[in-house]
Amino acid sequence: MIGSKPAAPPTTQERTQPRFSLRTTLLAYAFLLPFLLLLGLYHTWPVLFGTYLAFTDYNIISPPRFVGLHNFQLLLHDDQFWSGVVNSLKYLLVVPVLQLLSIGLALLVNRPLPGIGFFRTAYYVPVVTSFAVVGLIWTWMYQQDGPVTFLLQHLGLMKDPHSLLNDPGSALYAVMFVTLWKGIGYYMVLYLAGLQGIPKDHEEAAMIDGASRWQVFWHITLPALRPTVLVCSLLSTISAIKVFEEIYVMTQGGPVGSTYTALFFTYSRAFQDFRYGYAAAAGLVIAVISLIFGAVNFRLTRGGRSDA
Amino acid sequence: MTVQLSAAQMKRRRQTRTRLLNALAYAVLIIIALITLYPFYWTFITSLESTGNIYDAKLLPANLSARNYAAVFTGTTVPFWRMAVNSLVICTAGVSLTVLLASLAAYPLAKMRFPGQNALFVAILTLMVLPNEAGLIVNYITTVKLGLLQIHSGPLGAALNMISQYAAIVLPSLASIVGLFLIRQAYMGVPTELIEAARIDGAKELTIWRRVMLPLALPTIVAFAILEFVAFWNSFLWARILPIDEDMLPLSAGLLNLSGQFSTNSRAVMAGAVLTVLPILVVFMFGQRYFMRGLEGAVKG
Repeated sequence: MIGSKPAAPPTTQERTQPRFSLRTTLLAYAFLLPFLLLLGLYHTWPVLFGTYLAFTDYNIISPPRFVGLHNFQLLLHDDQFWSGVVNSLKYLLVVPVLQLLSIGLALLVNRPLPGIGFFRTAYYVPVVTSFAVVGLIWTWMYQQDGPVTFLLQHLGLMKDPHSLLNDPGSALYAVMFVTLWKGIGYYMVLYLAGLQGIPKDHEEAAMIDGASRWQVFWHITLPALRPTVLVCSLLSTISAIKVFEEIYVMTQGGPVGSTYTALFFTYSRAFQDFRYGYAAAAGLVIAVISLIFGAVNFRLTRGGRSDA
Repeated sequence: MTVQLSAAQMKRRRQTRTRLLNALAYAVLIIIALITLYPFYWTFITSLESTGNIYDAKLLPANLSARNYAAVFTGTTVPFWRMAVNSLVICTAGVSLTVLLASLAAYPLAKMRFPGQNALFVAILTLMVLPNEAGLIVNYITTVKLGLLQIHSGPLGAALNMISQYAAIVLPSLASIVGLFLIRQAYMGVPTELIEAARIDGAKELTIWRRVMLPLALPTIVAFAILEFVAFWNSFLWARILPIDEDMLPLSAGLLNLSGQFSTNSRAVMAGAVLTVLPILVVFMFGQRYFMRGLEGAVKG
């Protein structure tokens, strides 16, 4: 019967049949139920209750007390919060460097060289390692008599040997380097996937027409890669604003607050001072900031598309 | 005026150019590989030394000794074996439940028709985009309110305490939106005729899911399971924030305790770090292909 007639239009009888069967509907929700329950409890509820908490005073022992905009007024005058926000914004410097390096690396490992598999794997090892381990390893590497100091001294970039993590002028950049080091393999793989999705014939046709490698990259490869660039820079912008784990393991916000980021502020207010309402308010402000930066990033990376 | 080159000359020129470019490419590749791998290698060789200048930059260990590895297991109150078992329990429960929940929930979204289907899908998508900054705080409150951190007494008290503390660690990560999308995408590729035929033969939906959908989506499911294994093995923040017993901590979280306790013997902590990374490297080496595919799918899907 199937395929005996070429797609007949639906008859009136078929149209009047109920669109959904009750049995299927019940079954469908039975399949979905466990997932939806946990999703609601641990994903939806935090957004709703967290937003409510931002307008309350809450210490988990007594019930939340509504305080209106009080938390936000406090935040406005909280120097520690603002220096955290500034440090988080400085962290955005990682984004362009990370994207440029991983695009370059993806182009490099996309070449059919013998042994390229080894290199792809080597770049990916930091990605699959926990921040707990990565943070510890780099704390040791950065020690005053450690390899990084050794290297910087021999390159003539450091006169007095000291740990970059103990120096308020360099600590944030030292942690940023670790984020870069851990992230590059991740974005490389995403760009590699993007590169391999580009049809070969376009590039070949351009080469035959006499375009240089650089012209092919600029006019064909890069535009085709744009969706990937958008996703990757969005992901890395949002995670840069919310940087936390590397700070937690390596510096705990020090020395003298030089690596104290916005999310570290939220963490300390909640889990060290037990001011959950105040912490939730800070969290809400960070969420809005990262949304804004996400949107700006979206505009910027899409920018050239209309005229392309 | 252009100089006409013979075909052989042109070919030779092109070959030299390619060789030069390749040599340059290898040079860059090797330098970056050194930067990504040396910190691991350095930690490993330093953990093998018993004496010497600990943080020195080096290419080979000055002396070899298993002393630091012995110290991880014996010379400390942080129970290393116990934490390894915890990690294993957390990973096994976490990965299997995450995969089970996502692969169940993805089935109706991909292959059934029911009211609210589209609304549900959009709602879940939105959740992925919405920022979840308060997640840590509210999930902590939820965990406390659910009584998962209460101390049980009585004859079954010890067992109950263990189960509820494992649950406190694992529960918040079980509903994976990325997993749902990945597996839904794989299900969409399963021909509808196959499912219709099974239904006509009288197969129940659960049977269809188990016998038709799961086997055909297996490559995606394996890729997702590996991603989740890495995530569960590496997660430490949530477990460290929870006020749970020290011997309930997974390795990654416990390692930081080890570093606090061994402030005088960093080499032992390095040995602990090596032991913590090892399982994930083994999983990564074996699952690399699947792993990369899962990652690519996570962005495209």
